[in-house]
Amino acid sequence: MLALKNWDINLRWSEKKTLLSFLLLYSFLTLLILAFVAFLYYGFERDLMLQNKREALSNLTNEQIAKLRNLHINFDKNQTYPRDERFNSAIYDSSFKEIFSTLNSKNVNLYDDIYLKDGKMYFIKELESYYLGARYIAVEVDEPAFWSQKVYQKLGLYGAILFLLLTLIGYFLLNLILQPMKNAIALLDRFIKDTTHELNTPVNAILSNIEMIDSTTLDESLARKIKRINIGAKTIAHLYEDLTYLTLSHSALSLNENVHLKQLIEERIEYFSLIIESKKITISSTLANDIFLYIDPKKFTKLFDNILSNAIKYNKIGGSINISLQHNTLEIRDSGKGIEEEKIAHMFERYTRFDNTVGGFGIGLNIVAFIAKEYHMHIHVKSNVNEGTQVQVSW
Amino acid sequence: MVKHLLLTLLLTNFLSAQNVYEKNCLACHKGMAVKIDKFFYRYLLKYSSEKEVKHAMLSYLQNPTLKDTILVDGLINRFGLKKKTTLSTRELEEAINIYWEEYNVFDKLK
Repeated sequence: MLALKNWDINLRWSEKKTLLSFLLLYSFLTLLILAFVAFLYYGFERDLMLQNKREALSNLTNEQIAKLRNLHINFDKNQTYPRDERFNSAIYDSSFKEIFSTLNSKNVNLYDDIYLKDGKMYFIKELESYYLGARYIAVEVDEPAFWSQKVYQKLGLYGAILFLLLTLIGYFLLNLILQPMKNAIALLDRFIKDTTHELNTPVNAILSNIEMIDSTTLDESLARKIKRINIGAKTIAHLYEDLTYLTLSHSALSLNENVHLKQLIEERIEYFSLIIESKKITISSTLANDIFLYIDPKKFTKLFDNILSNAIKYNKIGGSINISLQHNTLEIRDSGKGIEEEKIAHMFERYTRFDNTVGGFGIGLNIVAFIAKEYHMHIHVKSNVNEGTQVQVSW
Repeated sequence: MVKHLLLTLLLTNFLSAQNVYEKNCLACHKGMAVKIDKFFYRYLLKYSSEKEVKHAMLSYLQNPTLKDTILVDGLINRFGLKKKTTLSTRELEEAINIYWEEYNVFDKLK
């Protein structure tokens, strides 16, 4: 199990999309809940503050009512509305018509008894005797300094703590959801690793023994059979190398050197020549001679082998493959069955296979993607169904 | 004789220049111990808005009752209830409107 920890569990695009949707939804709900709680908390703090101020405002209002009473009694002698530097006030009759006002705001909610508006605090009281016809009196004072800043500070602090807590819960929740998915991928990887290990010895034994056979001493029929065995063994060897790369090599350090690409590509075409020949595929190449790339030769071989192997595998009998190497581009074009455009984006995902009529695990192009990513290469795939596919690697 | 005629004419003109409020309300209230403005402020104290004050005045003047009076018990005991008005509703409303304009506090507060 220890080895499993070093393996990359790569989620597929659709899985990542699902997880992203989950995260977005979770974050949205978290923020919604927090906003709701913050709204309630703000309202609670505001009401508490207003409650504390109510008595003081009621006293100020009573003072003003007493002054209104005096004015009412002596209205024939004095008609100056009583003013106080501690507050502004206004009086309204029973039809809510303003009798007189020193308030900053013209719109006062007489149905409320105490409230905040535009940095001011308003207190409304109904008079028992309507001095000067005033049934309602409104008193306006400045909102207490810094109370809202204190509330916002508290909200920010508690909100951040709650958000962190909910994020942590979300993280654990996500891990719980991911666990079965990770287990399934890990199981498949472990199975492949175990299988790979068992393939090594027999494949090497077959290949080395075939190489030891002198084909000139064999009759034509037997030579053909040996050739077929050689192709089969090489196919298994290629698969073995892919699996080994996937489970072990790609995480190892790259041994980069200046690789003469034309030479390497020709060697690899030669390696695949028997398989190409068996499918009667015509291979043509235009390879520029002086192109060197600073890369691990084993990794470039894997990249090239996998693209060429697909071009052979999905080609028709008697088809063609064209390989072109330019200054910073390698292009492999085949006359195979092609692939639908919407599937191209998913071609490089591990265990993705679109055609079950040919063998494979769906790991070849995943390896290509790994190597291309490591060396900052770009892969461009163009394909037409029943016409062929063109894979272009540029660096 | 001519002098007498001129004086009578002038007096008639002067009397007819008085409005319904001055002629029918103020004329009597002038001689009372409690001035007419005090009645107005008592109505204001009890009824607040223009509509309610005017409605209460009209209702009381057309049918004065102990229940609707704004006078304190002492004054009622001393002077008794007012008699029913002899003015028509239209005249009464006109008189009340003038009374309101004379004493309302809206434009007088400063």
